[in-house]
Amino acid sequence: MSPTSPANATQKESRHVLHCLERVMGTVVTIDIYSEDGEASDHTYLQVARARDILQRADAVFSTWKANSPMSRLRRGEITREQAPPEVTEVLEECAKARRISRGWFDPWAMPGGVDPTGYVKGWAAQRALGALASAEISGAIVNAAGDIASFGAMEHSQAFRIGIVDPFSPSRLACLVELTGAIATSGTAERGSHLIDPYSRRPTARVASASVTGPDLGLADALATAVAVAGEAGLRLVETLDDYEALIIGFDGTLRRTEHFPLASPVQLQE
Amino acid sequence: MRRAPVVIGATVVGLIGVLTFHTKSAPVTLGSLSGASATQGSTTTTAPGSSPGNNSSGASSPPKSGSNAGTSTVPSTNTATSSPSATRSATGSAVNYHYGILSVSVTASGKRITKVSIGSINDGGNFRSQSIDQQSIPMLEQQAVQAQSANIQGVSGASYTSAGFQQSLQSALGKLGL
Repeated sequence: MSPTSPANATQKESRHVLHCLERVMGTVVTIDIYSEDGEASDHTYLQVARARDILQRADAVFSTWKANSPMSRLRRGEITREQAPPEVTEVLEECAKARRISRGWFDPWAMPGGVDPTGYVKGWAAQRALGALASAEISGAIVNAAGDIASFGAMEHSQAFRIGIVDPFSPSRLACLVELTGAIATSGTAERGSHLIDPYSRRPTARVASASVTGPDLGLADALATAVAVAGEAGLRLVETLDDYEALIIGFDGTLRRTEHFPLASPVQLQE
Repeated sequence: MRRAPVVIGATVVGLIGVLTFHTKSAPVTLGSLSGASATQGSTTTTAPGSSPGNNSSGASSPPKSGSNAGTSTVPSTNTATSSPSATRSATGSAVNYHYGILSVSVTASGKRITKVSIGSINDGGNFRSQSIDQQSIPMLEQQAVQAQSANIQGVSGASYTSAGFQQSLQSALGKLGL
């Protein structure tokens, strides 16, 4: 037996083995799987199928676009919370928690047309789908719900996943790179116009061009990203007080500010 | 009931997800990142309808042409891994997206994507769609190319349109065996 050769060492690498695309929630969610043996087993495929079911079920229950979804019926007062599927109560409780943590800057109850947890559900569903992928065979996984990303594990050599944050002033570029552990969500006004509502004034408002939040849970990260985009600097200070969550904002003047431990991949300045 | 899944197995070794390219490269600085994107940008703009040969020569050469001082270690690594550098193009299937129908074209040199562009788009003259597309389509085209330069596994802050875009892109990549 020869001592460990480079070839042996590379066999321990975690490799990308599966990419899957699910059309759901009015967008596309991608799932990427990394495995140390470089193969996707039958069990892995089964797990991916479960993850996709979770996403589809979340869409069926919570879609406010579908007139007959339990969430739509609840909003119209046709059913009570108790009559709705159990995850409706779970999500609304999580939303209330996120509202409390964000000191009211994230508030699904302040949306036009009654309570609307849509801003929370996408991240929550992606995080749940990721949960279905936990297994000894899977060394890393990413669930990317149109730019809001949940992950666990890493790539080869335990190298962290690297995620680019879109430059809000030049959307064909990335403003910076993040070494991701867990989840990241970005909210801003660069692309979809001013879709953010200030819960205090109830008017469309954004105080920064872009806000990104990292942390262990994508549901809360998503809610906090929305909160920080609306609150601006105050939101950044708020996230600084939270354990395990970090934020980065890009102001309308192009300045880039972050909480102390926001996981930038390399020290960067915004170009131009 | 279930839609046909687009599942691509281990044949995409080398390609992570829609936006990424799998190489063992050194960490990238933003300098090298924007240097690469500048090169890609000129490639793309010279060109709707220009010959694939042009594209590959432009993009597969290490983007030292970028005037940025940042050291770019990535391109050399990438070039090394893409030995059979035949240039090929494919157009993905036409996909319904939120505001219309689009298809994505991909040009690759070896295993490296050199160009991503919209093959066709029909939004029915929808004004809202146009305002969104004008911003987000060029962004998505560049992100797809830029992502592999930066060796990243995803982009945060992507848009609505990316749904149809990604799906058609994936099908084009499938046709190219990437």
